[in-house]
Amino acid sequence: MAHAIKFHPGMSLLEQHAEGSLSADVALAVAAHIDLCPHCQQLSRDITADLACQLTQQPVKTNTTDWQHMLNDIMAQPQLSKQAAATQAQLSAQAAEPIIVNQREFVVPRALQRLAANHGKWLHLGGIATAKLPAGNDYHVSLLYISKDTEVPQHTHLGLEMTLVLAGKIVDENGEYKAGDLLINSPDDTHTPRTMADEDCLCLSVLSAPLKFKKGLTRLLNPLQQFFY
Amino acid sequence: MLKSINVPRHDRVPSLIPDTQASMTRQEIANNNWEEALTFVALQRDRSAYAELFSYFAPRLKAFGMKMFGNEQQALEMVQDTMLNVWKKAALFDASRGCASTWIFTIARNVRFDMLRKKQSRKDDVSADDLWLNGEYPEQEADTDASQWDTQLLMEKLAPHFASLPPAQREVMERVYLQEKSHQEVSDELAIPLGTVKSRIRLALDRLREALDGARN
Ligand SMILES: [Zn+2]
Repeated sequence: MAHAIKFHPGMSLLEQHAEGSLSADVALAVAAHIDLCPHCQQLSRDITADLACQLTQQPVKTNTTDWQHMLNDIMAQPQLSKQAAATQAQLSAQAAEPIIVNQREFVVPRALQRLAANHGKWLHLGGIATAKLPAGNDYHVSLLYISKDTEVPQHTHLGLEMTLVLAGKIVDENGEYKAGDLLINSPDDTHTPRTMADEDCLCLSVLSAPLKFKKGLTRLLNPLQQFFY
Repeated sequence: MLKSINVPRHDRVPSLIPDTQASMTRQEIANNNWEEALTFVALQRDRSAYAELFSYFAPRLKAFGMKMFGNEQQALEMVQDTMLNVWKKAALFDASRGCASTWIFTIARNVRFDMLRKKQSRKDDVSADDLWLNGEYPEQEADTDASQWDTQLLMEKLAPHFASLPPAQREVMERVYLQEKSHQEVSDELAIPLGTVKSRIRLALDRLREALDGARN
């Protein structure tokens, strides 16, 4: 990565991610950020080591569990050779298929590759295109492509909005975001993201509730609402 | 900007595993080399080494599972699935990449995550394999190393914030920076791996930086 990533998930998000207790769709955005960010890779390694150490230091009761039975059950099963175990581990790591939109090809981070390969149809509106990824009921997860020199209509969020820049550059009132930068907006934030004349942008978007558009005309455009959520 | 957002979780359990004091277990850790035990399991199908690993980790994983699931049946299912993976895939453990306990913890976390997914019958989407890289990212130069920090600055600006650190990190920071002990001494005193001492220092420094800046960025 030629530039330094400036917007990282906070420490508590990284901790909950390492622990495995984040909601899956939020975890996905954090995992994809980590794939792109050496700094957060190191922190995640450290957090995981710390949690594992805490696991071993828990007090344990001598209890009534029938451990012998479980132990025998397990050792009755065959062990895998290194090769077999490695092959099994790699089954999910297929070769990366690029995402194609607007005649452009993008390779997405490892965490997104399997899901992105199953993205829904691209829906185009003006310079913007969006494709859904499989997600649970509480979140809307999608790829968002913004052509050069395009503004996303001003909106507020009824819930949490996470945007991870996967490629290109986007700017809003607060700053400039490049590949790897993770933006988190709470319901109070209003912003108008846009691309510059020389660079388009591909993002991962994770939304916990529909967006509400502010400006007169776009507010009437109900389909826009449908489009983004 | 990114700190205060309350991100919903897909379960209702309390956050980090609380730091616990168990003098008994510290002695055991000091005397046991689980990395070696796992290597014996992998190379020689050593059943007694596995039985030792099992008798140490199974009850601890169960306690972790009870905390996460709040339910004994699921906790035991997690233990069984985790320890079965440890048995079958011992050959994948690489002692040069970290502690045995870290490897086992990540297996348990992934098992638990996928158990919850199945329960919610969301089979087509995010799995543990998507969220956590199987193996290691290429090694990077650590950019948050304590050596970059001026000790005087640490004392003046950061020490007042030590109280806000999680107990496990505070314990290490106080010994290293206030009592000026070496990393090895702290590792011996607390009976935690040297790598964990370094991890906790890096995490604490990042946290303190967050406290000073108001945000990570
Ligand atoms: Zn980061």
